[in-house]
Amino acid sequence: MTEASTPVTRTPVTGDPAADTPAAGAPVFSVKNLWKVFGPKADRIPGSEHADLPPAELRERTGCTAAVRDVSFDVEKGEVFVVMGLSGSGKSTLVRCLTRLIEPTSGTLAIDGEDVLAMDTTRLRELRRHRAAMVFQHFGLLPHRTVLDNVAYGLEIQGLGKAERRAKAAELVEKVGLAGLEDRRPAQLSGGQQQRVGLARALAVDPSVLLFDEPFSALDPLIRREMQDEVVRLHREEGRTMVFITHDLSEALRLGTRIALMRDGGIVQLGTPEEIVGSPADDYVREFVRDVPREQVLTVATAMRPPTSGEGDNGPAVRPGATVSEAIEAVARSGDPVARVMEGGRLLGVVDHACLLDVVAGADAGAREVTV
Amino acid sequence: MATAQATTRTASGPPGSGPLAALRGRPALGKILLLLVIAAVAVPLAHARWGGGVWPGALTVDLSGPLGEVNDWIIGNRDSHPLFLYFFGHISNAVVLSVRGVYLALLALGWAGVTALAALVAWRTAGWRLALTAGLSFLVCGLLGMWVPTMQTLALMTVAVLASVVLGLLLGLAAGLSDRTFRVLRPVLDTMQVLPAFAYLLPVVLVFGIGVPGAVLATVVYAAPPMARLTALGLRGADAGVMEAVASLGATGRQRLLSARLPLARKELLLGLNQTIMMALSMAVIASVIGAGGLGDRVYQALSSVDVGAALAAGIPIVLLAVVLDRTTEAAGRRIGTEPTGPEALRGVRGWGLAALIAAVVAVVGRFTGGRVWPEDGVVPIAEPVNTAKDWMVDHLYTGIPVIGGTADWAAHFTNWILNPLRSGLQGLPWWGVLLIVAALAWTIGTWRTALTAVLAMAAIGVLGVWDLSMDTLSQVIAAVAVTLVLGFGIAVGAARSARLERLLRPVLDVFQTMPQFVYLIPVVALFGVGRAPAAAAAVVYALPAVVRITTQGLRGVDPAAMECARSLGATSGQQLRQVQLPLARPALLLAVNQGVVLVLAVVIIGGLVGSGALGYEVVFGLAQGDLATGLVAGAAIVCLGLMLDRVTQPTARRQRKES
Repeated sequence: MTEASTPVTRTPVTGDPAADTPAAGAPVFSVKNLWKVFGPKADRIPGSEHADLPPAELRERTGCTAAVRDVSFDVEKGEVFVVMGLSGSGKSTLVRCLTRLIEPTSGTLAIDGEDVLAMDTTRLRELRRHRAAMVFQHFGLLPHRTVLDNVAYGLEIQGLGKAERRAKAAELVEKVGLAGLEDRRPAQLSGGQQQRVGLARALAVDPSVLLFDEPFSALDPLIRREMQDEVVRLHREEGRTMVFITHDLSEALRLGTRIALMRDGGIVQLGTPEEIVGSPADDYVREFVRDVPREQVLTVATAMRPPTSGEGDNGPAVRPGATVSEAIEAVARSGDPVARVMEGGRLLGVVDHACLLDVVAGADAGAREVTV
Repeated sequence: MATAQATTRTASGPPGSGPLAALRGRPALGKILLLLVIAAVAVPLAHARWGGGVWPGALTVDLSGPLGEVNDWIIGNRDSHPLFLYFFGHISNAVVLSVRGVYLALLALGWAGVTALAALVAWRTAGWRLALTAGLSFLVCGLLGMWVPTMQTLALMTVAVLASVVLGLLLGLAAGLSDRTFRVLRPVLDTMQVLPAFAYLLPVVLVFGIGVPGAVLATVVYAAPPMARLTALGLRGADAGVMEAVASLGATGRQRLLSARLPLARKELLLGLNQTIMMALSMAVIASVIGAGGLGDRVYQALSSVDVGAALAAGIPIVLLAVVLDRTTEAAGRRIGTEPTGPEALRGVRGWGLAALIAAVVAVVGRFTGGRVWPEDGVVPIAEPVNTAKDWMVDHLYTGIPVIGGTADWAAHFTNWILNPLRSGLQGLPWWGVLLIVAALAWTIGTWRTALTAVLAMAAIGVLGVWDLSMDTLSQVIAAVAVTLVLGFGIAVGAARSARLERLLRPVLDVFQTMPQFVYLIPVVALFGVGRAPAAAAAVVYALPAVVRITTQGLRGVDPAAMECARSLGATSGQQLRQVQLPLARPALLLAVNQGVVLVLAVVIIGGLVGSGALGYEVVFGLAQGDLATGLVAGAAIVCLGLMLDRVTQPTARRQRKES
């Protein structure tokens, strides 16, 4: 919860510790102290003496369930913000609150600086039509329409003419790799293909932010991987802001610029994948990330130590954002005792066998980080 | 405090906790005990005050006087009162005009045009096989000399179905979109579906008199509920995920309804259309007793003079019409969501355009070469040969066959050995005893609510002063239901075990389930003559398919893992049936009983037309004599009886499932 109020803006792509100034412009979503309580007299719970009760006790005393409790975060422009948690942790409710598909109980919520909770029906409809589009776990496709008409549906809702929306939809069908299937119906497609239709439908309206609600949970592992690559590719090509809900840790680590880990409606930790894995905020998170192959998440920037004399002259050069496993490979290939962490021709530090093995073994990386 | 109670309870020892624990384990026993306690107090009081035997006269209300006055007032004011002039009058005129319009349009198309149109519509919605069936069916109607009555029935049905669909859609939309409307409407629609068709005739006749408007309106009232019900269920059952996705794209309420909710409910809507058409046909035929004309009227006239040949000639077109209409609309529902097939040039609008064009050409050609109605010399009279065959049957099969007797003998035995004792038994029961039995049955199977409704409905019958007649009807219902269940469960157990038997049965059940109730009276009159036994036989034949189907599905739906487990433990097939299949299929069996009772009642009432007497005859008599008061009281009693029988056999599970 304390993490939530001090958002970390660093991204693993640059891995630059100096880049902790906020990104330019207002955050896409700014969420402050958001609550969603289900049950009788739900609006009385936030801020009352019951607010801090554990879920079971809260339900027993008031009959209410706090699906989202006191959540605050900002989603910066261009990032993939992953909300991750087990089922029942409130993550799906949270993402629905963002476009008021579920009405939040209390708190503030702004999109591009504009108060979402104060919007009237028309304004909210505009928000849903143009600014935020959602991809659903069970696709939510219209079974009686063809693939093309499903993709064009969002544009049809906006009132676009038939020819125009079909042209645009055809473009997106192509883009998500479904060319040739335009006239099929959803029931004739595989799960992965159906979700591509869902993705194309969301992209067709050219939203400023894409919301994903566990989009790949219903898919086979191989297809899931393929779809994750698709999202990575889209993000790289278009740089669109995304909010991504998942219960799959590896998915979160793969896609997330930052990850908010939820439990019982609250955010337990918010940070980059590296921070979540490298320095878990509490035992819950630690237990959660225990089986993660750390060398594939942690970067050499966290594992390196200052060079001793002479060490900076030899050895393969790696970026500070490179993962530890990449550094291991480089060191093993070259046969040199250390790898140099270089950025722009400047030597930041070195990693030797001990540093790298420490990461793999799960030795305390936080202590090392302090010495950097 | 709680602990103190607990200790005293345990301290009271095993004798105290034994029966209590037994009661907790078996809620039905507890209900019966409670009922017995209530009865022990109430029965002596009631008995002392009003005596036993049939319903006490002190507790009846004679409605014939007031009802007669209402009837007289309506007849006196029908041409002058503003309510009739400006409301019912307009409805009546609109109905007459539209039926007449459709009828003239059908005649203008000529027999060739109508046949071609029917075949082409069937082709577009269900494929060429059904097109052939449809075309042949209409030709048979003509060959039997029934072209004009068929067109009359078709015209009346077209108007009634259109009105039912519009009314049903509107009600269904209201109930589908508003929770409150749904809660109010649902029990009403559910109840309307269990009431016998005859119950709807009299109130309509009271307002509109005998004739086409009344017949059409009775049909609409009877046929609209399934449309409304299925529309509401379809709209409410829309996939929540899809609806959320649509909302997330910023759709307005209207866009959500038109582009998502309604299309998602297409299957239910078409099923509603199918049921509405079938019920409209059934009612349009029955409504011949209030002047609907057409095929039903031919059957009705023929039956009242026991002219089986003429009845059959009019009955066959009814069956053909039913089969064609059912299969066509059913195929339309089945085709939803599948890819269009056939050559590209024939899909969608183009196919329909081609169909319309061919129909128009055939109609025009038909007009120039033949006439509008079926040619006189093209009729194959089947009434004579059929009557000859029937006379032979009367002579050779009715009685006197060695060992097995004859059909008339069977009917007589059924009447003497089963119906008569049952009737005198029921009429001999003290009235409070009947109420008690009703309460006990309804409460053990259902909830206290269904029990209360059932008891009140039964009491209402007594208050209306038709206790004896109702007991007569009830005895026929019970006897027919018993026969139906014995036969139905037997056949179903066989069908559930043998896939071959099921394959053989399926087409038979399909045809039998689509036929209007009225038609069943024809063969039973041929076989058994008139009386209560034939009516019961018709009821059995009518209810049997539904019972067999539900039971077979229930038995087949038993968890295969449980069956496998029983087999692996070495259970014999009898043990499997008794210990696994039947207990697990209990909900289906109860539903089968419920459906059987409702369907049997419907036909037993109609049996009034073939001499089964009791409530059905009162209705017919009231209509024939213009004595609407008698008929209305009998109609109300039928409603109460239907309500009671449905509630008595309504399992708790069904109610719960419906509410969820």
